[in-house]
Formats: sequence, structure tokens, C-alpha cells
Amino acid sequence: MAKVAITVNGSEPSNVFPPFILGSSAIASGDEVIIFCCPGGAPAMVKGKIENMEVKGLPNLLELFEGVRSLGGKIYVCELALDAKDLKKEDFRDGIEIIGATTFINEIKDATITFSF
Amino acid sequence: MAIQKLDTLGLKCPQPILKVAILVPQMNPGDILEVEADCESFPKDIKAWAEKTGKTLLFCNTSAEGKHTAQIQF
Repeated sequence: MAKVAITVNGSEPSNVFPPFILGSSAIASGDEVIIFCCPGGAPAMVKGKIENMEVKGLPNLLELFEGVRSLGGKIYVCELALDAKDLKKEDFRDGIEIIGATTFINEIKDATITFSF
Repeated sequence: MAIQKLDTLGLKCPQPILKVAILVPQMNPGDILEVEADCESFPKDIKAWAEKTGKTLLFCNTSAEGKHTAQIQF
């Protein structure tokens, strides 16, 4: 099975839907999935944000998020987002872990599929 | 051997496959999961999923109205 690493550096639906569509597809098929939100993508992981992100014709984002989580996917926010976006750890939804870039890079050193949005 | 049914009608890709994957821990070897779906990519997606995860796709039929019915054996 593959190891899929996805970075997210924007909080618009065009940045946030693809990681969770592709990530949930991958993890549903048995791949390991790691999603890393750079500061630009971090605001989308604040509590209550994805619930209000609906786009005509696209699947329910919250269900995809929960699917990735329930199947063991990792969803990280870069610690730089805390100062850069004036956010606190407790602002983020359950299941989000705050990590540094070095930890992310170490964790994905053997990733075979990568995406950036 | 049990046949379990999963209705994913109205859900968009990749939600039907995600719902199948979430049910995997509940299935025993030999069990059959029957899935109904109407998203366009479902027939190819369920075939790919079964191949990748080592499950047996018994069939995936499409009605004239575009409703897909697939059976997967675990």
C-alpha cells in the first residue's frame, strides 16, 4: 500500500476539498494518509469551518474529514499557524495535531504519493 | 455467511467507497456486502477498491435509471 502525503496551504474550498476527497479515497483503499496544513490552510481546520463549506456537486466535507480520521489518517496543522494566524491549539477541531515541519518531513520520508493544494 | 446492505444513493464520490471501507471491520470472511450507488464513477471505483484491497467483486450492475448495485465478498 502507498503512503500519501498531502499539504494544504489555503482555506478556500478549492484548497480544502481535494485533500479530503483524495485522502479519503486513499485511506479507504488501505493507504496511509498524512494531511499537513500549512499556515494558509490552518484556518479551515478551526472548529465549525468545514461544516459551513458546501459546494454544489461536491461531497459532504465533514463526512470526508471524519472518514479520514476514523480510518486512521493523520491530520496535522503546522505550529507556525498559531502565531501567523492568531490561533490557539484549542481553536482547532478534534483530531487535529499541531506539529512542526521537521516532524512532518520525517514522517513522510517514505511517502510514495504527494499532493499540494 | 451474511449479506449486508449499504445504501449510498445520492452520495458523491468518494463517499460510497468511504462508507464501504468503514464497514470493513464489521465484515467476516465470506460475508457479502451489497452496495447501491448512483454516483457516476462507482462501477470503476468499486472495481479498483476491490482489486487494491483484495476483496472479490461478485458483480456490479447498472439499471436503466443509472442505479448501480454491486456485491463484494469479503
